[in-house]
Amino acid sequence: MIKKEMIAMLLAGGQGSRLGVLTSRVAKPAVAFGGKYRIIDFPLSNCINSGIDTVGVLTQYQPLRLNTHIGIGIPWDLDKNVGGVSVLPPYEKVGKSEWYTGTANAIYQNLAYMESFHPDYVLILSGDHIYKMDYQVMLDFHKAHGADVSIAVMPVPREEASRFGIVVADENGRIVEFQEKPEQPKSNLASMGIYIFTWEALKEALVTLSEQSNCDFGKHVIPYCHEKGETLVAYEYNGYWKDVGTLGSYWEANMELIDIIPEFNLYEEFWKIYTKNDILPPQYVSEDSVIERSLVGDGSEIYGEIYNSIIGCGVVIEKGAVVRDSIIMQNTVVHEGAVIDKSIVAENAEIGARAQLGVGEAVPNRVKPSVYAFGLAVIGENAVIPADVKIGKNTAVTGVTLPEDYPDGMLAGGEILDKAGDVQ
Amino acid sequence: MRAVGIILAGGNSYRMKELSNKRAIAAMPIAGSFRSIDFALSSMTNSGIQKVAVLTQYNSRSLNEHLSSSKWWNFGRKQGGLYVFPPMVTSDNDFWYRGTADAIHQNLDFLRQCHEPYVVIASGDGVYKLDYAKVLEYHIAKKADITVVCKDVPWSEDLTRFGVLQMNDDNRIIQFDEKPMAASSHTISCGIYVVRRRQLIELIEKSIEEGRHDFVKDVLIRYKDVRRIYGYKMQEYWSNVASVESYYQTNMDFLRKDVRDYFFREYPDVHSKVDDNPPAKYNPGGRVKNSLVANGSIINGYVENSIIFKKVFVGENCVIKNSIVLNDVYLGDNVYLENCIVESRDTIRANSRYVGEDGIKIVIESNERYVL
Repeated sequence: MIKKEMIAMLLAGGQGSRLGVLTSRVAKPAVAFGGKYRIIDFPLSNCINSGIDTVGVLTQYQPLRLNTHIGIGIPWDLDKNVGGVSVLPPYEKVGKSEWYTGTANAIYQNLAYMESFHPDYVLILSGDHIYKMDYQVMLDFHKAHGADVSIAVMPVPREEASRFGIVVADENGRIVEFQEKPEQPKSNLASMGIYIFTWEALKEALVTLSEQSNCDFGKHVIPYCHEKGETLVAYEYNGYWKDVGTLGSYWEANMELIDIIPEFNLYEEFWKIYTKNDILPPQYVSEDSVIERSLVGDGSEIYGEIYNSIIGCGVVIEKGAVVRDSIIMQNTVVHEGAVIDKSIVAENAEIGARAQLGVGEAVPNRVKPSVYAFGLAVIGENAVIPADVKIGKNTAVTGVTLPEDYPDGMLAGGEILDKAGDVQ
Repeated sequence: MRAVGIILAGGNSYRMKELSNKRAIAAMPIAGSFRSIDFALSSMTNSGIQKVAVLTQYNSRSLNEHLSSSKWWNFGRKQGGLYVFPPMVTSDNDFWYRGTADAIHQNLDFLRQCHEPYVVIASGDGVYKLDYAKVLEYHIAKKADITVVCKDVPWSEDLTRFGVLQMNDDNRIIQFDEKPMAASSHTISCGIYVVRRRQLIELIEKSIEEGRHDFVKDVLIRYKDVRRIYGYKMQEYWSNVASVESYYQTNMDFLRKDVRDYFFREYPDVHSKVDDNPPAKYNPGGRVKNSLVANGSIINGYVENSIIFKKVFVGENCVIKNSIVLNDVYLGDNVYLENCIVESRDTIRANSRYVGEDGIKIVIESNERYVL
């Protein structure tokens, strides 16, 4: 008989619209991070490092890159005879077919997958956080408290608590109350979106709530379990954890990797982060290049200057180009004399010679002020920026742009230039 | 593909000095993130060869580690595979491999059980890209018994390390001297041969019966007038790493853009085992000029005209010039290196100074490393 004590279900179907053009062609969990990783590498590596060898990855939005990245799970040793990683897209059923309409609905639609492993516990993860966590320790906590549901929480500053789902727990860790983005938070413990359910409790809740529209863990399942009087406990986690849901926090989390001894250290042997490795040669750093406080990926050729930046694999930075406080993703080419300040340039883009990114004042974005903020210039994947143009702050550019797209050679701060049709 | 591959990777050479204390030449690290055997293995897989036997003997642990999985080179499929054959004691053999021909002889069953009509034999110490399928086509067109891949090298090269040959107008080999004191030509054998499988079995069986164990001396040279042995001249980059000087020079060649572009940016790719290392990290005070830096490295010092392999830590105020630092080396603060090769997994104490005065200095400290 097939039997796994705990299996993981990883929610990777969301668009992550707050990452703007970075997620216009790719699901958020597949967005590049830290020079060679993708965001989903962190929960997947946590799973295998925690001894969880059965992971269902629920995909829906733009799954191509996610699918090719995960494959059969070889990089994470998740290619198993029994279990391993399974990509679970929505599917057509007799008489009806529906998309995943909410986080819990997605899990509900895969009850059969979970049942086939006869699990005692199910771990629910999301694919958009950067952290290292031993889920086995959380499971021990879950068992020790005889819990039906455990929710991983972490302390946040009181003044920021109103941005999170807040959990109020008694001295034994037992949850007494939930507050969703409260004005007056009663505690500073924020839910991290990581849950362990005892299998029967999860199944019962999902089946009962199966008719609930847009069934969501935070909004429906957890409150249902709470009201029913099940044992909900808060598992407090105190390590590094970063939600990379906005361009600002995504940029910040990348930048934190370049500290001399980063709080989140990828260079430790213990608890390694695995990713799909392309076979790439080392990077070449030329005679007149300067690289300071930066991470640079394999196969890159650096002839220019790089300060405080994360450079992906296979990137070319030509002579005289200067990159500061920026993230350049894989296979992008930055031509001679281009100057890039505080920008995020997605994969396979091309920045023309002497182009300047991130110039001028940070005026709020005209169309999507909450997305394109933080003073960043964001260039979508496969975008082409012509030579000699200037691009302001809080901007977004997609597709192949031509010099005539830039009045007076300039895309002013707060503007969007969308040639790929990626901005809704 | 109509050929199986055999890679001769058992060899050692006194010319490698201390570098061969740890590994066979075929396992020598090249260009930051490759090993010498990757080039033969990649050429085989890229030529469509699906079945490859690697014959190992000398110091094979490091090589075995590298070959721990065949998936890196896309072997290990249902059809074909990557086989590692060390010498073994059997009821009718209790010798080590006594030579290259003997190594093939001890694994003759492998060849007998193959169905492919041809065999490509390559050594594990060459750095090159070659489409063996083209050599095979040439071999068939020439109706050759054996085809030897060869290359013109400058007269200034140390020809006493190589097999030196001369060909007639039809490219048939008329003269072949193994490691001659005075070379009669500057065309050298690259140690890559194509031969019909049944022909090879027959030649090897006969040689062993006569107590002859070396493929070059006892087969190629001995039979050159009675069998049709042809040369296939290779024009592209080829280098052999079986001496400290050539090993150093081959690595330094990768600082040239044309060499890097040829190997890394042009089709087909060179494959290798990959490690799960983070990207290279440059801390304040780090300064790198005209160098290759592999993944997992952390740079705090000055590096110039050098090759930094994987997971190297360069301490503060270090100065590294014209040197090769092999994988997983920790260089303490204020280390000065010039014209050196630092052996892998070593820990070099702070304030050390090593300079290769005449020639390349091999640095081995073998210190304990205390990991926090």
